Amino acid sequence: MGTATGIIRALNSGIKHIATKRFTLRYPEEKLKFVGDGYQFDPSTGVGIAGLKGRHMLFHDHCTGCQLCSIACEGVAEAIAMVKVPDEQTQNKKSIMPQIDYGKCVFCGLCVDACPFYALYMTNDYELSSFSKEGLIYTPAQLQVKPYVAQDSEIIISDRGATHG
Amino acid sequence: MSVIAPNFKLSEFIKSLLDNAFWGVLLMVLVGIPAVMMVLFFIEMPVINGELLTPFLALTWLADPSRILPVVHAFMATDMFRVMAFPGFGFAALLAAGTIFVERKMLAKLQLRVGPFYCGKIEGILQLMGDGLKLISKEIIIPAKADKPLFWAAPVIFVGAAAAFVALIPVAPGWVVADVDLGLLGVFAVIGFFPIITILSAWSANSKFPFIGGIRALFQMVSFEIPLILSLLGVVILTGTLNLSEIAASQSSFPWIVFLPIGAIVFFITMLAELERIPFDLPEAESEIVAGWLTELSGMMYGLVQLGTYLKLYAFAALFVVLFLGGWNGPMIVPPFPAEILTDGIVMGPITAKIPGLPLFTQEMLNGTLWFVLKTVGVIFFILLPRGVFPRIRIDMLLNLGWTKLIGLAFVNIFIALGLLYAGVLGPGGLQ
Amino acid sequence: MTAELPPGLALQKVDERIMTLNVGPQHPGSGHMRIVVQIDGDYIVACDPDPGYVHRGEEKMAEYRNYITNIPHLERPVIHDSCNVLYPYVLGVEELLGIEVPERAKYVRVIASELNRCIYIMYWLAIYGIFLGHSTMFMWPAGDRELLIDLMEKMTGARVTHAHFVPGGVRNDLPPNFEDVCLRQVNYFEKRIKEYAAVFYDNPILISRTRDTGILSRQDAIRLGTTGSVLRASGVDYDLRKKEPYDVYDELDIHTNVMKEGDSYARSRIPWLDMIESCKIIKQALQKMPKSGSVRVKLKPNPKGKNETVYKRVESGRGSLGCYVVSDSKPEPYRVKLSVPSFRNLIALPYLLKGEKLGNMPSVYWSLNYWPVEADR
Repeated sequence: MGTATGIIRALNSGIKHIATKRFTLRYPEEKLKFVGDGYQFDPSTGVGIAGLKGRHMLFHDHCTGCQLCSIACEGVAEAIAMVKVPDEQTQNKKSIMPQIDYGKCVFCGLCVDACPFYALYMTNDYELSSFSKEGLIYTPAQLQVKPYVAQDSEIIISDRGATHG
Repeated sequence: MSVIAPNFKLSEFIKSLLDNAFWGVLLMVLVGIPAVMMVLFFIEMPVINGELLTPFLALTWLADPSRILPVVHAFMATDMFRVMAFPGFGFAALLAAGTIFVERKMLAKLQLRVGPFYCGKIEGILQLMGDGLKLISKEIIIPAKADKPLFWAAPVIFVGAAAAFVALIPVAPGWVVADVDLGLLGVFAVIGFFPIITILSAWSANSKFPFIGGIRALFQMVSFEIPLILSLLGVVILTGTLNLSEIAASQSSFPWIVFLPIGAIVFFITMLAELERIPFDLPEAESEIVAGWLTELSGMMYGLVQLGTYLKLYAFAALFVVLFLGGWNGPMIVPPFPAEILTDGIVMGPITAKIPGLPLFTQEMLNGTLWFVLKTVGVIFFILLPRGVFPRIRIDMLLNLGWTKLIGLAFVNIFIALGLLYAGVLGPGGLQ
Repeated sequence: MTAELPPGLALQKVDERIMTLNVGPQHPGSGHMRIVVQIDGDYIVACDPDPGYVHRGEEKMAEYRNYITNIPHLERPVIHDSCNVLYPYVLGVEELLGIEVPERAKYVRVIASELNRCIYIMYWLAIYGIFLGHSTMFMWPAGDRELLIDLMEKMTGARVTHAHFVPGGVRNDLPPNFEDVCLRQVNYFEKRIKEYAAVFYDNPILISRTRDTGILSRQDAIRLGTTGSVLRASGVDYDLRKKEPYDVYDELDIHTNVMKEGDSYARSRIPWLDMIESCKIIKQALQKMPKSGSVRVKLKPNPKGKNETVYKRVESGRGSLGCYVVSDSKPEPYRVKLSVPSFRNLIALPYLLKGEKLGNMPSVYWSLNYWPVEADR
């Protein structure tokens, strides 16, 4: 009677799981919490700091317009273009800064690894959808803004199964 | 941030609403009301309480709810009500809709997900309505080389056959659409009709995957019809009748599942196969033949087939209840209709409303319906559950199961029934 | 028709009994490929897998990019197993550049690679479940995979396509408190995948459905050049993590799962056993890992390789995955060639499907642990 026991075991396991907690992240209402403030890179040691590779953040007072991020992106996605900015910075003689097209970006973070001046980091913001292609292109002024993120949901493991809470 | 409708203006929106309302009212006054009046004057109206029901009378009675009860009573006695509303299509469709909702939510719970959630605010209760609207609004695409009349007709005939099946099911004492003496034979006839519809639809689509699916459905249904019919013969032997109402009434003390468990199990398995449900959903095996015989159906044609499938599911579950679980029989748990409402009327503060014509349903009918629905829902739960835990089986395994094991078990069941009858345990002089 | 056919082409005779089915590329049971199946009744007479619908030229692209910018490209063939796809390339480039990787980075790589293997197998298992009409076995792995994806996200900052391994170590150190979270979630994950047995692997309907279908004998498995779970299901004890240990796999206790049957059921069970094994490896690696230390060697910008060729291979979720890198002392590799397990396993498909029933096609096809995008590269 191996078949009958197997069928009964399967049915029993199925019924048992009806009482288990649902493991679903209700995304727009709940958002996953990430470690840290996003992927960053320390050029002095050459090691990154763990974090989500989301939308970039550009520090205008650090950026020298050296184009290293753009060069790093050349072989990957060609998402970074150097554009003229109106504001005058002492360290940025050419007044050029990266402008990132998120329609092309693959979020690999190699541009962050390339920046030697602590000017380009990544943040936890991943909600970049837009109704137009132009809306996906972030100018240096837009990249300067620190994003507002409300992410507080974590995986909780209990006896009755794991949930997002 | 962008908005969904960038050119939205509230004034324009209100203007369009008023515009539509104006045209609606104008058309109703000029066309709608005269048309209704003309129709009402030409059809024969019933006589209620010694008065002929003229449209004028009907409309005045609408103002006083208590005076409409005799009209409702008269309507409930008609065949129209039985076919459309209570034991017939409306009731079955309601249960089928409930089945779909429960299936989705229960399966989702078993699979540790949420299921329909947002539509209708409360746990996605309106999801089915949304799906129906979607199916209605979709374009119906017909293959260029299809046999068009047959292709169009197949879904409609499918629903028709399922509805014919529903019509044979007795729900409560006396509440059945078609109370025929050879009711069980009628059920077999209707079940035998489904493979023909399936193969017609599959053949007429003139496409490879529907063709394979149709052939598979034909194999499956034909080979499982024989154990299905044989498994029910035990019940017929014990009751000595083919009338479904009498079979249900004969189980007032014991449901037949007590004496014929093998027959019940065989019938349940064949039922799953006839319904093309997992683990027997070979005709719709997704990963092999796309959607089987439903591949070329689109829009509301697919919706009709789904409606027919769930009506069929309800009808099979109800048949199981009628044949093996005692139908409407059960302890009386519905309280009797409070007599003081009939004598004193309903007292609401200073007003006392006397409502002649109550009660609408008898106590027996309500109790029978309640037990019937409870048992049917239980059976439907067990029909739905295998979908969560079993994979699909293969066609050779299916045919092997149908032709060797189930037919053998069905014969064992018949011998048990005959043994019970001749040993005198049941039948005349026995327990029942 | 008297027109001359071009040389090398011949007209096929049409048999009235034979029906040709195009399973794919737009078919719920094919993936990004086509299988031309000829059936006689319900029996498959001939089968002709037709991959190549998602060829992206990753190998050619790699010749125009330097060693670092190749990384986001070369993990694309299997985004669910991206660390393992990248692993042989990174090992090869390290040898070309002559870098010694820090100890901690090696352990981090092992953890990432084993997590990624589980993520891939869960995805594969989900599809295997839906191919057999078992919708629960689609939803459970797809949901429980989230536990590990969450870990990878904490570790690398991306849910798929991590771009985490670089020549010289890994991109970033583990986040604080990662060990505890990893241990908790991996333990729960292990408990969860063991629950699959009652519903799926010990289910008598599944066993009767997949037992003795598509049998690949030990000799045929070796002769056809299959690898990974397909080879181990046919009774060949072959696991690169044990036979040719790379990084720190030789310091870890690894058990290789082997089954003798070589049928569809054994091929589907081996990856599941591998997942349980991976959980144990992750726990061992977490224990043995140095608690601190560097994880990445600082490279010069645009490093140039020695004038050499290297061939490195690792055990990915599907089998041995090799990468052949030719360097000509330039910042860009002269040639990069991926030897992928998917394509090697697919070769067995026509042999296995001949004479099978049509109903066995999805289960035999997907039990070969095949990933269409990887085969096309």
